[in-house]
Amino acid sequence: MQRSDYIIKRTLFAILTVYVAVTLNFVLFRALPGNAVSGLKCVHCTEQFKKAVAHDMGLDKSKWQQYVIYMKNLAHGDLGFTAINHKPVRGELWDPIKKTLAMITLGTVFSIIFGIFTGVISAWRRGTWMDKGSVWTALAFYSVPTQWLGLMIVYFVADRVGLPHGGIQSPDYGILGNPGTYDFLVDRTKHMLLPALTLGLVLYGDYTLIVRSAMLETLGEDYVLTARAKGMSNWAIVWKHGFRNAMLPVVTLIALSLGFIIGGAITIEYVFDYPGIGLAIVDAIDKRDYAFLQGAFLVLTLSVILFNFIADLLYFKLDPRVTT
Amino acid sequence: MSARRLLGVATVLAVLVAAGCGGSSTGGTGGTSGVKEGGIFTEGTTNYIDTLNPFNYIEAQSVTAYQEVYPTLIQYGPGLKDIVPSYAKSWDTSSDGKTITFHLYPGGKWSDGKPLSSADVAWTANTIIKYQSGPTAVLASAVQHVKSVDAPDPNTAVFHYSAPTGNAMALLAGLYILPQHIWQQYDTNSGKGLKTFLPENSLPLVSGGPFTITQYQKKGTTVFKPNSGWFGPKPHIDAFALVYYTNADSMIADLQSGQISAVDQVPFTAVNAVKKVSAVNVDTYPSGEIVNITWNSNPYKPQNRELLDPKVKKALSMCVDVSQIKSVVFNGYAEPEGSLLGSIGGDWRSPNVKPVTFDCSAANQTLDQLGYKKGADGIRVAPATTGQYAQAAHKMEYQIMVPTSVDFNGDREFSIIQEGLANAGVKVTEQSGGDSTAAYAIETGDKCDPSTNPPTGYDKFDIALWDWVAPPDPDFQLSVVTKGQWCSWSDTGWINDAYDADYAKQGTLVNESQRKDLVHKMDETIYNNWLYTQLLNEEGIAAHDKKWTGFDPQLQGYNYSFFTDLHQS
Repeated sequence: MQRSDYIIKRTLFAILTVYVAVTLNFVLFRALPGNAVSGLKCVHCTEQFKKAVAHDMGLDKSKWQQYVIYMKNLAHGDLGFTAINHKPVRGELWDPIKKTLAMITLGTVFSIIFGIFTGVISAWRRGTWMDKGSVWTALAFYSVPTQWLGLMIVYFVADRVGLPHGGIQSPDYGILGNPGTYDFLVDRTKHMLLPALTLGLVLYGDYTLIVRSAMLETLGEDYVLTARAKGMSNWAIVWKHGFRNAMLPVVTLIALSLGFIIGGAITIEYVFDYPGIGLAIVDAIDKRDYAFLQGAFLVLTLSVILFNFIADLLYFKLDPRVTT
Repeated sequence: MSARRLLGVATVLAVLVAAGCGGSSTGGTGGTSGVKEGGIFTEGTTNYIDTLNPFNYIEAQSVTAYQEVYPTLIQYGPGLKDIVPSYAKSWDTSSDGKTITFHLYPGGKWSDGKPLSSADVAWTANTIIKYQSGPTAVLASAVQHVKSVDAPDPNTAVFHYSAPTGNAMALLAGLYILPQHIWQQYDTNSGKGLKTFLPENSLPLVSGGPFTITQYQKKGTTVFKPNSGWFGPKPHIDAFALVYYTNADSMIADLQSGQISAVDQVPFTAVNAVKKVSAVNVDTYPSGEIVNITWNSNPYKPQNRELLDPKVKKALSMCVDVSQIKSVVFNGYAEPEGSLLGSIGGDWRSPNVKPVTFDCSAANQTLDQLGYKKGADGIRVAPATTGQYAQAAHKMEYQIMVPTSVDFNGDREFSIIQEGLANAGVKVTEQSGGDSTAAYAIETGDKCDPSTNPPTGYDKFDIALWDWVAPPDPDFQLSVVTKGQWCSWSDTGWINDAYDADYAKQGTLVNESQRKDLVHKMDETIYNNWLYTQLLNEEGIAAHDKKWTGFDPQLQGYNYSFFTDLHQS
């Protein structure tokens, strides 16, 4: 297959996936019982108000008409307005997404670096106590429910290391004035560390096991034996000959992780009271806020497709066999 | 059933408030002198302020914010019994009950220095009336039956009603007066501009209340600072902040570690832990939240029609150990209740409506006498019936729908009720109701339409465990069992034309004594038909650092004095 054919094929597939996902986004949320109007629970939610909201949101139109309007607006880049509050979905999405992005990027980077490091060490020291210790620890963290680990960190670690139990900023932050950028960064980072650590610990085991497995395969290859015979240093053998050739599964895993990065870690956000996109989605489901949910899942879908697409292109670069 | 958890009656802090009363010149409960001034009060909450635009709000916590920044003519006083002055220092009602004239405090200013006057009141009310079926519908209930509002002079606002309105004052307590000079320019595109304007984007907010908002984060911290143009008693604090938490555990942990000054709601499971913190006071008060067994009382329901019989429902209710639910589910923080109006309804409740008596042997006798005999397996059998809604003989086995969106352990409540009903020879299983929207969908059925003959809907459930959060005025609670609320607020599917006529009439009675008599009759009708078995009235539980005093936790969202009266101990 030609390089251009490969890229065109992957691009068309990505576009088709987006279309299917966008349509599913529309259908799935409407399959939930009730809608944004029947979900209104307040003393001032009179019939008059409910009718006005239903009209405002187009809920008084047929499902097919709603779908056509949704697709038409989407084609113009318009994600619509949130239910009731009538705020632009794009703006409402961005705030929690950026909070989640920062926290999850930190956690994912930690897990990748730590996972690769422990995986390589395990493979290199195969069969030793170091290998066993590393693998068992990785398996333990990989198996632990995220919310349980988060709670343990909240209860037993937070106070001891002087970090907040949760939230994204200190309760008294900014009340008496506008703190500077440095104070802002320090405060945010303090609140981000424990959730990111929890995420990193839960994710790193996956990397350890994948890297170890791939490394064991490459370290048993003839070219590694040749490199040893040529008297190359351990460092060069491991990183230049071993790890580079073990990269393919690691890239796949990283691409998959990055794809889900915006999806956030809802349980982590809940335990650490972290107002990211995961909790925003839960809130929107509770309110049957179709516009927000459609927007959020569109972003999630696009992020998964984008990173898978990038991974496909990277395969092309990393493994020439893909094109044959 | 809303998430509003701001109701109730103060107990502990009422004493403190009373001690602090200094003859406030407006509707505040305080106006204290010789108190320690200054400080920043931070209150944790699990409810957020969704917008500073009152035409778009839905979350209950927004009301807390509006109460402090947008003037209201009147407000609720201590105990949520009486309407007391706020921006209006007094009012007169015409003999026909169709005109209410409010006399306003002079000299008020918006926080940007512009004068606050009756023109703002008239513009706000008339604008709501103008677009009440569209962009301003969310506030339309505040001006129900209002034809127009005049401002004959800067300190007088006259409300003209199309009909006498019994709960006019209770409704007007929710009329947030907006600065005309700011909002008028957004009255565009048939009023839609009023909805798209976001005051939170141009802070500090132009406020006419005791505070203005200098920082707003929807799901974060919102900061309120005193408004120098405020006509009422000056707040004692430098600022207060509402800090939003997505889970109560983090909030309680921050209270325990002294990072926040107070929390507006302590979960039942956390009260004992909070009580152990020496620096923290736990404040309990009867809230408006009433926990009940909801019986499907739709007269056209197709199956298990024996559950339409009030005697059966009463007998089954008598096997429920309410005291066990109180101690196990609510950790003791609830009181037995019989009325749909709840304790917050005060003397609107009929004295003849009492909590259910726990007497399962008497209940079994009643069921035996009614012909529901126990089978060999101990489960009673409902005999076959004839007629339009004939049903075959069948075991008394039912599903109980339990929503997940309640603030207590509904599963635990179900298991206690299940045990009680088993003693009556009735087998029940739990049906998860999901969130409140899904649970309503289960109750109202797949196709709900009150206009068909007979009405359709309410055909897929028999029993539910849920709650109501009652407001102080009985009108709303009384409405939820009318046919007008079929497919909407009604969760029982009950239809009774005579009751509906009473409901319409009570809404027109401006004489409180006459209205009270009729409300008592309606309360008894609901009770005697066993549309619900009211079980318990939850206690509201708040907590605060002992460094703070002078406030009434019940008044948050009802009276601005919650934040103007509070001060350091």
